[in-house]
Amino acid sequence: MILYTPMQLELVLAGFEKLDRSSEREVTVNGVPAIVKDIGGGKMELVQILSTNPMDFLRSELYPGALVKADS
Amino acid sequence: MSYYQSFDEVPGVFPYQPPSRPDPETYPERTDNPNHDPGDRTRVTGKSKNTIEAVKEMGTTQVPEIKSNIHCLTIVGQIEGHLVLPPQNKTTKYEHLIPQLVALEQSTEIEGVLIVLNTVGGDVEAGLAIAEIIASLSKPTTSLVLGGGHSIGVPIAVSTNYSFIAETASMTIHPIRLTGLVIGVPQTYEYLDKMQDRVVRFITSHSRVTEERFRDLMFRTGELARDIGTVLIGQDAVDCNLVDEVGGMSQAINKLKQLIDERKAGDGGLKH
Repeated sequence: MILYTPMQLELVLAGFEKLDRSSEREVTVNGVPAIVKDIGGGKMELVQILSTNPMDFLRSELYPGALVKADS
Repeated sequence: MSYYQSFDEVPGVFPYQPPSRPDPETYPERTDNPNHDPGDRTRVTGKSKNTIEAVKEMGTTQVPEIKSNIHCLTIVGQIEGHLVLPPQNKTTKYEHLIPQLVALEQSTEIEGVLIVLNTVGGDVEAGLAIAEIIASLSKPTTSLVLGGGHSIGVPIAVSTNYSFIAETASMTIHPIRLTGLVIGVPQTYEYLDKMQDRVVRFITSHSRVTEERFRDLMFRTGELARDIGTVLIGQDAVDCNLVDEVGGMSQAINKLKQLIDERKAGDGGLKH
């Protein structure tokens, strides 16, 4: 892993130790398997789409950072 | 008889027929012809409920849906690679971008891809992966560097069929190095040198800049305060043959349309 950037690495990596991925879990969103993160208040943020269908990555409602609801 | 007569001519009898509109047509003419145009219809215009909600929640209105044959990919902030970066970084995630590019290649509606860059670089492997996949798309591509396209943003900018840079946009070219932890063994330097060669090779084979010129820009002293290297602004990047043209959004889209038309005409003449 090499970061090739003119930005200072101390700035880019600040808070790296505090990253917590424990609230992430795998669910299905609108029929698409995805990793989501609980952000409190019952809301969930999409982290990554796990689908193998490339067309799922062009869906306008699914992108990293989108607020989503898991399928029940 | 005047309407304004002040007394009853015949008591108890209303003296005149009040003006009235004709009775409404109860049975309008019908036709069995399904193509029959009933003439002027009342159009009700206004905002749907959803639009008002969008304004309230996000401060934006929905753009009316027009299917475009061009897809715009924006590459902003740090290009995030094998390591998840802390949340103060704005990142472009390669695990999302790469399948998107696969979908764009497959899509029948999309005929061209516009890459808009404003990036400070990032992971070497993620950046090269994105650049390679853009370079290997069969559909026409153009790129536009706005603001900045530094470090690993450079190979992404040159990976398209034709590249543009805004007049005020800048590109920083500098050597790859590890800041922070440096292990003092010869392999470390060799490894970094190899990684650097990958980037240089990609850039020189996808743009018209020569390797000699590019390495000269990369190792120039006296330009950057804390580093060796060069900052190219707008025209500078064109002068050293790194980027094809100085331009903006309209030029980038027009060029893309031209490339799409050429491809449709069967020229197959997509050149770098």
